[in-house]
Amino acid sequence: MSAKFVTENQLAKSLKDQFKNKIKEEYIESNRIKISTGPENLKNLAIAVKELGFEQVMSQGGTDYPENNVYRIEYHIICVSKKKLRSIIFSIMTEIPKDKPEIETLIDVLPSAEFHEQETFENFGITFIGHPRMEKLLLPEDWDDIPPLRKDYILPGRG
Amino acid sequence: METFEEFVKRILTILFWLIIISPLIIFPILFVVVGLLGIDVTIVNEILTAAIDPLKAIKLAERYGLGFSSTFFKIAAFPGFTFAALVATLTILYERKLMAKVQLRVGPLYAGRFEGILQPIADLFKLLGKELVVPEKADKMFFWAAPILSIGLAASLLAVIPLSPTIYIARSEFSLLIPFAILGFSPLVVLIAAWASSNKFAFIGGLRALHQLAAYEIPMLLSILGIVILTGSFDLMKIVEAQKDMWFIFPQFLAAIIFYITILSELERIPFDLPEAETEIVSGWLTEYTGMHFGLLQLGVYMKFYALALLFTLLFLGGWNGPAFLPPIVWLLGKLFFVITIIIFPRAVLPRLRMDQLIRIGWAWLIALSFINIFIAVIESSLGVI
Amino acid sequence: MQNAGMNIEDKGGDQLVLHVGPQHPGSGHFRLIITVDGDYIVGAKPDPGYVHRGAEKMAEYRDYIQNIPHLERPVIIDATGVTLPYVLTAERIIDVEAPERAQYIRMIMAELNRIISHLYWLGIYGIFLGHSTMFMWPMGDRELFIDLAESIGGTRVTFSYVVPGGVRNDIPTNLKERALKTFDYFEKRIEEYKKIFFNNPIMTARTESIGTMSQADAIKLGITGSNLRATGIDSDTRKDEPYCLYDRVDFEIPTRKEGDSYARCIVRLEELQQSMNIIKQVLDLIEPGPIKQVIGGVMRGEPGEAFVRTEAARGTMFYHIVSDGEKQPYRVKISVPSFRNLIGMTHLLVGSKLADMPAIYWSLDYWPVEADR
Repeated sequence: MSAKFVTENQLAKSLKDQFKNKIKEEYIESNRIKISTGPENLKNLAIAVKELGFEQVMSQGGTDYPENNVYRIEYHIICVSKKKLRSIIFSIMTEIPKDKPEIETLIDVLPSAEFHEQETFENFGITFIGHPRMEKLLLPEDWDDIPPLRKDYILPGRG
Repeated sequence: METFEEFVKRILTILFWLIIISPLIIFPILFVVVGLLGIDVTIVNEILTAAIDPLKAIKLAERYGLGFSSTFFKIAAFPGFTFAALVATLTILYERKLMAKVQLRVGPLYAGRFEGILQPIADLFKLLGKELVVPEKADKMFFWAAPILSIGLAASLLAVIPLSPTIYIARSEFSLLIPFAILGFSPLVVLIAAWASSNKFAFIGGLRALHQLAAYEIPMLLSILGIVILTGSFDLMKIVEAQKDMWFIFPQFLAAIIFYITILSELERIPFDLPEAETEIVSGWLTEYTGMHFGLLQLGVYMKFYALALLFTLLFLGGWNGPAFLPPIVWLLGKLFFVITIIIFPRAVLPRLRMDQLIRIGWAWLIALSFINIFIAVIESSLGVI
Repeated sequence: MQNAGMNIEDKGGDQLVLHVGPQHPGSGHFRLIITVDGDYIVGAKPDPGYVHRGAEKMAEYRDYIQNIPHLERPVIIDATGVTLPYVLTAERIIDVEAPERAQYIRMIMAELNRIISHLYWLGIYGIFLGHSTMFMWPMGDRELFIDLAESIGGTRVTFSYVVPGGVRNDIPTNLKERALKTFDYFEKRIEEYKKIFFNNPIMTARTESIGTMSQADAIKLGITGSNLRATGIDSDTRKDEPYCLYDRVDFEIPTRKEGDSYARCIVRLEELQQSMNIIKQVLDLIEPGPIKQVIGGVMRGEPGEAFVRTEAARGTMFYHIVSDGEKQPYRVKISVPSFRNLIGMTHLLVGSKLADMPAIYWSLDYWPVEADR
């Protein structure tokens, strides 16, 4: 541990104490904390992060990794009410297998994730269990191709 | 893109060729038919010569009882429909120019060499050239009826409103009450238009108009009661005569304000334009109307504008009374111009009210104030102010 | 005459479903499905996506430099606001840093764009409340700021001005006097705006305690930007996590406690003044120097990822770029403020009156194209 990012390290340490080896610290940089976990622990991790003071989902997105056969899902959570934590973006990340793209929704913990999760659903085909509106949001209603942000979807004319 | 001048040129070219070609075809036929059948041709001759000689046309019209002093002329031309429509279209142009000046714009500029003076004509041609779209699910009869009713109603308002001691269409002892009786029908026209459109936004707009017009007609009627008390007459002529020494805006200032506010509401102008609030309900009860349908509805509204502005002038600003160096009609039109300006002006500086606020102002404030005004009038008349 | 007259689907009771948009004078490229019961809104479902172009997918096929004009399209009204965070993220991936002068110029452009965007918002808000003069005035005054930005960026709206390593070209030498002249004029205009619009009794009656959002709700729902600041939280990325050289200038974050439509208006009006304040300071601080660090050849990032947020005109703009070492980014995730504020629309509209719909809708400064990407 470097002596530089004191707040960041403290936050990460408190989580590590709580979750032991269920979580993995990806990296800690200036104002950036990224922690990964298994899909089954994601919700508990989110609850713990919220208890630390991070209350808003700023962004939630997925990335397709065809060679590992996984989708990576990432929540970028920020704090707006406490001045000390405002500079930090807390990322929690998990990988879910492509053959069973399902994960529990976080909107009962972090309601601001609602539209973000809906967008990830339509762009990757990942179902968020417990989300009330798993339906098309931005895509056309008659979209019948595979979800467009998957790497095996090739843009027309670019193949 | 065709400019307005090119457009006019094109229309005029068509007219020119029609005029050239029609004698070549119509006159031979006419002469053949007339010559063969031996019909008396003096009437045809007179009509044809009148078509090219205005003086003869006037004589012809007078012979058949349609001259300047005839009732038909009064109703159709001056001071009736055509004059009112002219004032209404000029009001639209004036409103657009005035709004533009307030908003640091130039407004209509290109139609006509000077300040877009021909813009109303350009608008008329544009509206005439548009398709009349009638929605499939609309109630066709009522949908067509609404524009005609609207303009008919607005024109009939003018029947008993005099422009000067000599210029009027009809005289009545109750010439103050008749316009208000006719105004009472205007919510009905709006409702017909809204219902027949079979459109949700139009329906909401129609309901809003009903609420609004019903709420504001009562204070409007109450506000003129003060004047009736002071003059003891329902005759507009007598009311104007009574203002020889003092305009009623001074003893009846409160009434003037109430009447002004209710005019704004009756005309659905900002801040009372809820029935047409475009960001909420598209265009309100006008939503489905296109082309000349819309033009007629709009013309009806602006003719109502003219009639109400005229009433305000007659009731509060002394009508045609003024120093004798100008004829009475000039005084009247000058005051009318001023009234039209102050009716237009709120649109440039005020946003739109909300329904509940509007209803509250109408039912609670204006009615209470107009009762206060009636007391003021009673006190004034007992003190002998007028 | 079958099917004549009112043909309106029966929802049962007195309820009526209204589709506000995508063809509606008060909607933008966006649909709001509203259920009204009498004059009250009992249900509101936003339906975005009418201008969804898949900017994130398309960005995966373009080089880092090509992505700048591409990603500018969703928010042409705030072009620098949307490209600046992209460029900052790309700089982290490519590992370059812009020189000091370039950072200052970026701040000038970002603040100018904020003013341009806010003035556009103000004009539309005026017409949404039926105030046509308030539509024309800000639109006219906006031209002055567009002229300023044009003298820097070369075009009127889509500047593509900020590039990795710096900015495309230097500012004109007379920028300072031009800017100060414009600001002097605009300060006077703001007073006139206040007279005709912000202090107008009808305007305050239409917006005060309308669409009130509590602070707790704003945090919970993820509201950002001016809408968040109108609830009393002085959160602004420019202060929270200063990028460029925002830590060297002194400015205030306008906040309001009420959280209603009027508070959101006033916060934006004060932000206009603060933006001018920032530009004035930057014009004093800026010193001659290089404006660009030249990157030879094609930009290519190290495998890895970076995420950056900035304060765009509508709130926090967030970019997350994943690189696999190719010329093109592997994944670009954009989190735009409008998309995050969209959730507040349902929250605020339900329970209000139909006539308050425009007053609430546009007070959130929702930009459909930005939300759809």
